[in-house]
Formats: sequence, C-alpha cells, structure tokens
Amino acid sequence: MLPIDAAAHSSRWRRRHPVDKAVLGLGLTVLAVCLPPWPGAALVLLTALTVLLGPAGVPPRKLWRAYRVPLGFCVTGALTLIVQLGGPEGFVTLADGGPARAGGLLLRTSAASLGVLLFAFTTPMSDLLPRLVKAGVPAPVVDVALVMYRMSFLLLDSMSRIRQAQAARLGHTTRAATWRSLGGLGATAFVRAFDRATRLQAGLAGRGYDGTLRVLVPEARISRSFVAASAALLTGLAALTLVLERLLR
Amino acid sequence: MHIAEGFLPPAHAIAWGVASAPFVVHGVRSLTREVKEHPESTLLLGASGAFTFVLSALKIPSVTGSCSHPTGTGLGAILFRPPIMAVLGTITLLFQALLLAHGGLTTLGANVFSMAIVGPWAGYAVYRLLKRYDVPLMVAVFFGAFVADLSTYCVTSVQLALAFPDPSSGFVGALGKFGGIFAVTQIPLAVSEGLLTVVVMRLLVQSSKGELTRLGVLLQGGKKADEGGKKDTDAKKCTDTEKDTDTKSETGASA
Repeated sequence: MLPIDAAAHSSRWRRRHPVDKAVLGLGLTVLAVCLPPWPGAALVLLTALTVLLGPAGVPPRKLWRAYRVPLGFCVTGALTLIVQLGGPEGFVTLADGGPARAGGLLLRTSAASLGVLLFAFTTPMSDLLPRLVKAGVPAPVVDVALVMYRMSFLLLDSMSRIRQAQAARLGHTTRAATWRSLGGLGATAFVRAFDRATRLQAGLAGRGYDGTLRVLVPEARISRSFVAASAALLTGLAALTLVLERLLR
Repeated sequence: MHIAEGFLPPAHAIAWGVASAPFVVHGVRSLTREVKEHPESTLLLGASGAFTFVLSALKIPSVTGSCSHPTGTGLGAILFRPPIMAVLGTITLLFQALLLAHGGLTTLGANVFSMAIVGPWAGYAVYRLLKRYDVPLMVAVFFGAFVADLSTYCVTSVQLALAFPDPSSGFVGALGKFGGIFAVTQIPLAVSEGLLTVVVMRLLVQSSKGELTRLGVLLQGGKKADEGGKKDTDAKKCTDTEKDTDTKSETGASA
C-alpha cells in the first residue's frame, strides 16, 4: 500500500464522511488558489498545517515525505520567474518584481498542496471511489477505477519482488542489463495484470457477475456541524485576508 | 513531470479543464459502451489502467545519468487506443494526485490535456503513420513512444508559458525558459522511454500474442496488424477485435 493511503486508513478522521473532509481540505485549496498569495495563501498554509498536525493527527515525517514532492516542482518552476530573457541589459537578467512573483507562487502552491494532502491523508481511496457514483460519475468508470486501485497495489508489490530478484541475479550491474531488466519488468507487469484480470473474471463469473462490482462501503454520515465549522473557518480566512490586505497596503 | 497543485492561476486551470472535457467525455462514452456490450471488459480495462499507473512508477535511467519516470502514454495509446487512454489517463492522474502527491486537483485539467490527450494522440498518430508506410513495428513503437513523451512535456511548457509570460519577451521568452528546463531535458528521457517501450513490446510479442491480438496490435497468428492488412486480403474478416480497433481509430480521428 502507498504511504499516503496507508496513513489515510489509520487516520483519526477515517470514519468521517468524505464530503466533510472535502469541504475542509479542498476548500482550503480553492482559497489558496483564489486569494492573493500574501497574506491569503500564507494564512491558508498555516491553517492547513495546524489542522493536519493537530486535529487530523498526520505524522509530521509522513507529511514531509509527501509534501517535498510537489515542493520540488514548485521551487523549480518558481525559479524561472526570477529571471527574464532579452531586454537591453543582457540576454538573461533578473526580472523586475521576479522574486516577489516567485515567492507568491511558492506560497500559493505550498498552501494548495497542503489542502489536498489534508484530504488525501484522511480519506482512503476505497471510501471515496464507490461514492463517486452519487456525485454523477458513470458507474462503469467508477468500476474501472476500483479495479485499477485494487490491482495497482498487487502489481506494485509484484514489481518490487521482481526487481529484487533481478538485482539478486546481477540484473542491474551494467547499463545493458538494466535496460533488459526494466523491459522485463514492464512486460511482466502487463502479463500479470491481464492474467489477474482473466482469473478475476472467471471467479466473478462463477458468482453471477453481471458487470457491476458491488463493494461494501463503510457507513458514514455527513456531519452538519463539521461542515458548518469548516465553512465558518473558510469564510473567516477569506475575510481576514481581505482585512489584512487593506491594512498591509 | 506534472504541474503541481495550485501552480496555475484559476482562469487557466478552468480553461484547461474545459479544453480537456470533450475528450474525456468522448472517452467515457466509448468506455461505457464497451462495458455495456462486454461486461468482462471492466476487469481488462481496470488491468490496463493499473498497468499504466504502475508503468509510470518505473524508474528509467536517463542518458544524462539521472533517473526519471516514463509517462507510459505512448505504450498505452498503442495498446488501448487514445480515447480509452483519455479516461485511464485521467484516473491515473487522479490517483497520482491523491496517492503520490504528484500533480494536483486544480491542475488536473491541464495535466489531463498534456498527458492523457495530446501525448497519446500525438504518439498514436505517429505510430499509425509509420505503420501505414510499412515501417517495422518496433521502429513505429519507438517513435510513437518518443513523440508521445516529448509532446506531453512540450504542451506542459506551453501551458506554463501561457500562465507565466516573461516580463520582457512575453510568451516566447517564457516558452524558452520553461522549454529549456522541462522539454529539452526531456529529449534524452523521451529517447529512454522509446527504448524501454520497444524492449517491453518485444517481450510482449514473444509472451502475450493472445492479448496483443485481442487489443488489435497483432492479427490472429501473430502477424503485425497493418502488415497483415496489406498482405492478407482476408484481413478485414480476421477478428472482431480488429474491426473494433479500426472503428475506434476512425472515431478517434474524427474527434
């Protein structure tokens, strides 16, 4: 199982309805994108971090491991805003207001990423996917996504074992051997995926499979108080941003 | 490389979502029709999607000495056709955003456009074009995967340049900056992905002729689909799969 999904399964908010967590987590993301980076995104970043490490109880180390991935892209992308091409002073020069734009972009992406991580670290995919049908996603697409989700872990596990076996047989010692091993790994993943699908089909056909995958979804109710508190928090953040923005001008 | 969460301004994020929507809706309709006609396809499509997801987690050595991940869009488009890849790619990107923190939800539309639409269509178009001129299967596969990978990153550069034009040289200057960082460094990686895809396809031709025939990449008996279509006059009545494939590619071309 992937670290974020594993953490979501053991989260304090695991039993909460996905809508509760979507309002808070994705609401914070939307605020981070729509509000001015300073002070809006900075406030959202602090709030998301407080909720993640406080009430949601996400372990800091796991959060950092997941968070550094989007941060790497953000830093690389933001660096390009610091310089400009062409102009009278030279081919590559520092852009006017470039550091401020780069800083604003970093704040916005960091805050928005934390909002999504809040949702991801508290909502397992197995809770989310079956409920997408109620949100209007066609049932066949949800079924395909469910099979993808469940099969991905098996395939990742298989590939990890195959890679270990290849390494034990000196399959990664030279560049040519590495390419052969990688090709074998990709082809084996394909063969295993289709083999599993065929066997799964045979097993389901014996149980009266009619094309619909019925899975048990843990019961949960949308908490009005949680949603109301989240909405109040988001409104408060937006209002505070507007007030602070005027004061800081 | 996906565009990270919150990186694009709201108007751009919405615009790319709107641009991607028709392709994804078309793919969803194709997928729904396929599943209704053949309920067992759910499992095979799920397996295909899982394969695409897992393929994007493979680390490939770059010519520059670093490591990177293949996009998997070229191989996916050749095996499963671009309309299906639009849906499988969208689900894969959603999984990557929520399970791996790669990409994002507000940038999903932009990432879908580059990775699940332009990449597969460009790679598949090159693959089909080369096959039409009797180019060997593996050469066509290499260039299909190469173009799919490179076009994905070129579109990402365009998306970023549109969102963040250079203060002095505008869109062109920004395209140079982002292109320099993302697309040009991707050329060795695109070559690597092309080579990897050829190695995978060679092994698949040896070990999974049945599946490749079912997917329409090979004709029954292991012949290469387009070669067989020219040499064998009975190719049209060869398999239902082949007919289905042609229909899909025609539908895709009109889209």
